[in-house]
Amino acid sequence: MKILEIKDLVKDFGGLRAVDSLSLSIEEGEILGLIGPNGAGKSTAFNCIAGVYPPTGGEIYFAGEKINRSKPWNLCKKGLARTFQIVKPFSSKSVLYNVMVGSFATTDKTSVAEEKALKVLKLLQFEDKKDERAGNLTIAERKRLEIARALATEPKLLLFDEVMAGLRPAEVDEMVQIIQNLRHQGITIFVIEHIMRAIMALSDRIVVIHFGSKIAEGSPLEVASDENVIKAYLGDEYVVS
Amino acid sequence: MTRQNINIFALVLVGVVAFGLPLVLRSPTYLHILILLYLYAYLTSSWNLVGGFAGVLPLGHSAFIGIGAYASTILSLQYGISPWLGMIVGGILASIVGVLIGLPTFKMRGAYFALATIAFAEGIRVMVENIDYLGPFKINGPRGFQIPPTNIGFVNYMFNGKEPYYYIILVMLLGILAITYFISRSKLGYYLNAGGEEPEAAMALGVNVARAKLIAMAMSSFFTALAGTFYAQFTLYIHPKSVISLDLSFEIAFIALIGGRGSIAGPVLGALLLRPVSDFSRIYFGATLPGLHLIIFGIVLILVMIYQPRGLQEPLTRVYNRLLDKIFGGTVKKEITHENS
Repeated sequence: MKILEIKDLVKDFGGLRAVDSLSLSIEEGEILGLIGPNGAGKSTAFNCIAGVYPPTGGEIYFAGEKINRSKPWNLCKKGLARTFQIVKPFSSKSVLYNVMVGSFATTDKTSVAEEKALKVLKLLQFEDKKDERAGNLTIAERKRLEIARALATEPKLLLFDEVMAGLRPAEVDEMVQIIQNLRHQGITIFVIEHIMRAIMALSDRIVVIHFGSKIAEGSPLEVASDENVIKAYLGDEYVVS
Repeated sequence: MTRQNINIFALVLVGVVAFGLPLVLRSPTYLHILILLYLYAYLTSSWNLVGGFAGVLPLGHSAFIGIGAYASTILSLQYGISPWLGMIVGGILASIVGVLIGLPTFKMRGAYFALATIAFAEGIRVMVENIDYLGPFKINGPRGFQIPPTNIGFVNYMFNGKEPYYYIILVMLLGILAITYFISRSKLGYYLNAGGEEPEAAMALGVNVARAKLIAMAMSSFFTALAGTFYAQFTLYIHPKSVISLDLSFEIAFIALIGGRGSIAGPVLGALLLRPVSDFSRIYFGATLPGLHLIIFGIVLILVMIYQPRGLQEPLTRVYNRLLDKIFGGTVKKEITHENS
């Protein structure tokens, strides 16, 4: 079953077309990677899916339901959660408080929310930091907090927007491990990433976009040897023909 | 003995002292000062529901005090309805107005929101000052209303002496503090805090930020209006300058910012610190330097914002905890709270 399907998505900002008739779909249980050079429109596409920007054209379906005009908070309650490329912790609050905001998506009771949040923190091996003020965390910990909060909303589909940017290699490996564990829990994952090593290892399939439109799609190996992809990333002169 | 037990014990002690005070303190002047102190702590706590938790800075709350004061006074003077009922009517009216003000303004950020709320409150004041009749209701323009102290009794919210007023406002204050406590630990409290700090992230986590803020605004304006009725019945004289003035709105915000907005104790601490300054400067310098207390508030606010931007409740909480450590040493089990961190 397709958990997310995008048909001819278009997003204009004034005269600039950030996303240009992009179509893609994700099967349940899959990890789909989205890559592309800087400014390709990856985050914009994410923001359209997550309800932050209303799309200019095209259709977005989540679990068979059209969600073009849905608000972020309603999407979250339907099971679509996301992280932010630029992390946005509630800095003055503790890690546990941050995660509890997420777990309130599925409950009204504080005690239940706390229980769920603690479970998520345990899953991410983050329990030891639960009383730390989020503003005092390192960048790697903040990225992990983003994931923990999103996970606490009990999503079916998780959108990860560069959760590994700025991490050290060892931390990247750890994050890859975390994301693979999430997939084993039955969560579908759609991930934007610039770190090739990580996205090649993670993704079942990769979609490459450039200037807002799709230029390639396939397994990591197929994509890596695709002529258009090499052109987009490195320039024409690097294509061996 | 755990730390929680000590805290409960301290709270009970403070409560007993507060309830027993009028038995010891016979001077009406001091009672009057205390009543105003509690009134301001109550007003600031009500303000705190939206100004503290939701992370915005409303500077027009006197509009709600005015709505409460006018609603109950008009209903009792012109229709013979008990001010207790008028108080509820005023509260509901204020929360409707609060939501109407909130709908367009919560989209604004920072100073723009503050300015918009000032504009609304001033607009309401000018309107009240310039109309004599609003439909069937006599508003009486800038003259306001004098409430004749003829029918003294509980039903008429009118008493001889200051003690009954003291107990009414004390109960109201304890009530709003309890409500604040429960909200800060509820889903709404978490959602307000999250939406105030990082609205985009909050929305992605399932928080309808605008709705949470409107609920907070409705509650805040409701409770603020109740204090308007209290003020009217306590002073027996209201006019636009006294109940809808900008000074009143600012003083509430001063108390909150200096005490510590977003915390439960902040408004009470702020009122405890600032009200005496205000009263004694009026008593001793009222003739020579009127408005001196506002200058002092300004200086204190600047200093607090520079050195303790989260208000005085933070260092005071630290001192309190250290004091407990000193007194009880190792026997005190530390319990970490997330709510006030």
